[in-house]
Amino acid sequence: MENNFIPIQIDFNKNKALVKRYAVKWTPTVIISDSDGNEHHRFVGYLPPEDFIAQIILGKGKVEFDLDRFEQAIQCFQEILVRYPKADAAPEAQYYLGVAKYKASHDPRELKLGLEVLQRDYPNSEWTKKAQVYALIP
Amino acid sequence: MAKQIRWETSLTAGKVRAKKEKKLILMDFYNNL
Repeated sequence: MENNFIPIQIDFNKNKALVKRYAVKWTPTVIISDSDGNEHHRFVGYLPPEDFIAQIILGKGKVEFDLDRFEQAIQCFQEILVRYPKADAAPEAQYYLGVAKYKASHDPRELKLGLEVLQRDYPNSEWTKKAQVYALIP
Repeated sequence: MAKQIRWETSLTAGKVRAKKEKKLILMDFYNNL
């Protein structure tokens, strides 16, 4: 974790300004931000180790994606799908993998390919519903 | 043995380290019930 992140523990009861700034209402809340403190991903509640790690990698991928570093984002999303395909974060990683590949290549077929993988591997996920519109891509 | 995590307790200090070390920030809001 420390290869990629500076970890900060924030006492909910002693840091009211940060609690308000990030609108934290329950603990544990984990927020992934860039080095300026801009939030890119969060999750709430205790998770088993594999789901926790997958969420952390997803957060890193979303920072890279938001900063237009699509190749780095693709690596993160692929890492989740290879190492933690059964994690709850995996369908979202698959969704963003298709989007990041599209953003990197400008080829809309990447979105449709991403949908096909979602339909095959995660048919009941909300992320499969969100990608459904890409079926219209020729 | 697992490596001990070096936790920061200040976002300001964390941001300085994150910029210097070219890393992201993981904030863990916790509550001792």
